[in-house]
Amino acid sequence: MTRRRLPEWLVLLLPAIIVIAAVVLIPLLFSLYSSFTPYKLTRPSTLWKWVGTYNYEKILSDAKFWAAFGRTVLFLTIVLNVELLLGLGIALMMNKVTWGQRTLRTILMFPMMFSPILVGFQFKFIFNDNIGLVNNALQSMGFNVALPWLVDGKLAMFSIMFAEIWMSTSVFAILILAGLFAMPRDPLEAAKVDGCTPWQSFRHITLPFLMPFIYIAMTIRSLDVARAYDIVQIMTGGGPARRTELLWTLMSRTGYVDARMGLANAMGYVSILLSILFTIYFFRKLSAARAELGMAG
Amino acid sequence: MTEVTLSKVVKKYGQHQAVHGIDLDIQDGEFVVLVGPSGCGKSTTLRMIAGLEDISGGDVTIGGRVVNDLPPRERNISMVFQNYALYPHMTVRENLGFSLKIAKRPEQEIVKAVDEAAGILGLDELMDRKPAALSGGQRQRVAMGRAIVRHPDVFLFDEPLSNLDAKLRTQMRVEIKKLHQKVESTIIYVTHDQVEAMTLADRIVLMRDGHIVQVGTPLELFNRPVDTFVATFIGSPPMNLVDGVVQGETIVLNGSISVPLPVTAGPLTNGQAVKFGFRADNLMPIGHAVEEEGAVHELDLSVTLTEPLGTETLLFTNLAGVEVQAKMFNPRPVTPGEQLQFRLMLDKCHVFDAKSGQAVRG
Amino acid sequence: MDRNQSHRNRRRVLKTLHLTALFLTMMIICIPGLWIVLNSFRPTVEIMAKPPVWVPSFTLDHYRAMFAGAGEGGVPVFSYFRNSLIVSVTSTLIAILIGMSGGYAFARYRFKGKNGYFVGLMLFRAVPGVALSLPLFIVFAKVGIIDTHFGLILAYVAMNVPFTIWLTDGFFRQIPKELHEAAEIDGCTRWQAFWQVEFPVARSGVASAAIFAFLTSWNEFALASQLTRSVGSKTMPVGLLDFTAEFTINWGGMCALAVLMIVPALILTFIVQKHLIAGLTFGGVKG
Repeated sequence: MTRRRLPEWLVLLLPAIIVIAAVVLIPLLFSLYSSFTPYKLTRPSTLWKWVGTYNYEKILSDAKFWAAFGRTVLFLTIVLNVELLLGLGIALMMNKVTWGQRTLRTILMFPMMFSPILVGFQFKFIFNDNIGLVNNALQSMGFNVALPWLVDGKLAMFSIMFAEIWMSTSVFAILILAGLFAMPRDPLEAAKVDGCTPWQSFRHITLPFLMPFIYIAMTIRSLDVARAYDIVQIMTGGGPARRTELLWTLMSRTGYVDARMGLANAMGYVSILLSILFTIYFFRKLSAARAELGMAG
Repeated sequence: MTEVTLSKVVKKYGQHQAVHGIDLDIQDGEFVVLVGPSGCGKSTTLRMIAGLEDISGGDVTIGGRVVNDLPPRERNISMVFQNYALYPHMTVRENLGFSLKIAKRPEQEIVKAVDEAAGILGLDELMDRKPAALSGGQRQRVAMGRAIVRHPDVFLFDEPLSNLDAKLRTQMRVEIKKLHQKVESTIIYVTHDQVEAMTLADRIVLMRDGHIVQVGTPLELFNRPVDTFVATFIGSPPMNLVDGVVQGETIVLNGSISVPLPVTAGPLTNGQAVKFGFRADNLMPIGHAVEEEGAVHELDLSVTLTEPLGTETLLFTNLAGVEVQAKMFNPRPVTPGEQLQFRLMLDKCHVFDAKSGQAVRG
Repeated sequence: MDRNQSHRNRRRVLKTLHLTALFLTMMIICIPGLWIVLNSFRPTVEIMAKPPVWVPSFTLDHYRAMFAGAGEGGVPVFSYFRNSLIVSVTSTLIAILIGMSGGYAFARYRFKGKNGYFVGLMLFRAVPGVALSLPLFIVFAKVGIIDTHFGLILAYVAMNVPFTIWLTDGFFRQIPKELHEAAEIDGCTRWQAFWQVEFPVARSGVASAAIFAFLTSWNEFALASQLTRSVGSKTMPVGLLDFTAEFTINWGGMCALAVLMIVPALILTFIVQKHLIAGLTFGGVKG
């Protein structure tokens, strides 16, 4: 009798599947269930009460939730686009540098090593209205102002975006730079001879070639957009008066401060869907861009 | 019209000088081939003409206009690259029409020009494919099509055939020659392959170490090489060279065999160290020679190795301790070790000064 | 000559612009970090001074307080550092082993629904830490591994495995199949062939995956802030918040801890920075 054996690939994949199932899948199923209950940490018995889609209806009709949701989408749109443009610009500039490129590239990788929580703290310090570097510098230059960077709603949002962009632009810059290095020189020279201005060469030759690299960066970024939670949490905690409340801070406030787990988990699902949508979108773009250049396979 | 002139053109990379003050006049409609071993500065020179490399010194003029600091797009040139340099994300049609699109020509004109180029090069079937789906020869043809679509003043070719296999190379060579007859533009062509240079060029520019060694028609370079470098670079197999010393009216080769001084040789002093050069075609076994007028010297040599090529056989023999090659026409089988009587065509032999390598010619 | 001249001039202007922009970019990247380092060496009085003091003086007070274990706020930084190190190193090692085996499966075997598995795994990585922390907190509390090293390590392994699979898959695919086939013909088992031939070749890729896993664990906050409570298991990112009291913040102390956090990450990244980029692009583009 020969025992039926699992195929090798499954044996190799099994540890990964088990760990992920235990640590991610089961809790997620649990949270899916609890999002249909009025579960409160303080009263465990509430876990067994089924309320159907009550929580979802509640958050969908909650203005605070929609404000946070809209702000999150706006935040991501602005931040990702600015990061892409700046990253592209920086990569193009670095590519033109003829000396000390390695040093510059190392400096460029700086922000990637910073913990988001550290970035948040760092900019909380720098944007502090009383002792922060920015206001101190402004005052020393003769402007007699103390801009309330983290206290005013709009300025706080700007400060948070600044911190987020500071932290993540490197990802784009580094990957696009890698793309520029990998780019064959010939087509660019051919374009020059074909009569392209530098802008036209960039638009018609360089950019199409860089698209896969841009989408990798986007995919990698969309995997951890939620890191912004750390930054917001330490810089403003969602304040002042919820002006910088994002989906993630609202969720953690509902879950941990108000102890309404069921409701928080419902929000959690919305945020998970958002992340997954972003990831899938860019992943598909990546595949399409690869096929375009004949890199697939 | 479109003459291209280089005067004292210099290229430096930091301390290293790649091109040392080159002077060259190229006529309108001429097919000029820059040839030389790799690293001789031929590609650099071409890229300076194209505007892809900065010029460190001297002037490049195209059609009477100094173009030293003009970007490529203002030079009205087109170029075929060694690695084809096709745009990977565009179809063949888009590749061909790209330069016209950039120049904002009307749609109709683009379509017409692209179709015409496709017709000339036989690309009609491939128009909607991407470069990744083409074979090497097809890519090469698209690259050429892209160059002719614009009707440029000057065509530049940078080793365009070196990535093709031998058979395809011969075929493309013919197509390039036909193309030149059709478009009648000035062509500057870079290669390291002397056969390509010989077959294609109106005029060959032979370069070495950033200098021009000799400029002339293929036959001039073949028949009257200015030094031993040209003599061995042009022609296949390379010219045989044997050390010798002048003694009166003869040259003593390696202290053993003596041959009469060729009548073409210039002034030589007694005892001067020289190199004696002749091509395989001019050393033939008696009975298998091409009969020609002129002075002949007869030699008994033993064959060490044979290379039958069909219409002729290459014979490797030993002349005064140096391996030299000879040619046998209407060949018969020869076994190694066989002694044959050879005729050396003295009028076609060359004498070079041993020290400078320069030809000594009357 | 006119046109030549104008082209030359334009090139000069562009070059100046380029250098200026590059310089500004580098300043913006460097100054925040340097500011933190600088302030970790300044006395609190000077940090708080109004009007600002621009010429810094030097003190090691914050570091002394930090390593004494009981500074101003009594923050046990040393324990935090140890916790971070234990959790990050252990979780990285386990994640690499598991991820490498998964990556190898994707790179070398053909099986039905391969793409589905792959995308599915990646999507688990996209689940935001905050969203996961809520249910994970409850489940861990039930199982009784909340506030332990083990619990956090487990969470980080799960978090790092998908990305590790992505990177190692890319690297193993770079290695020609013939390599392990040749090894097997030379008498290796598949297992030996992997460890003796393929693993050494892919080592740099595995190293870069390890760095990513380590940095993720070392820097993570959202999960750690919920799954750890006591001195015995809190990591440094969570400990950073200890310096914030209700109304006051010990800026100098925080800066010192920040420096302590960033130094190991910096050193590691410098060592493997070349592979880091290669890892990301191989995994993505050529996949």
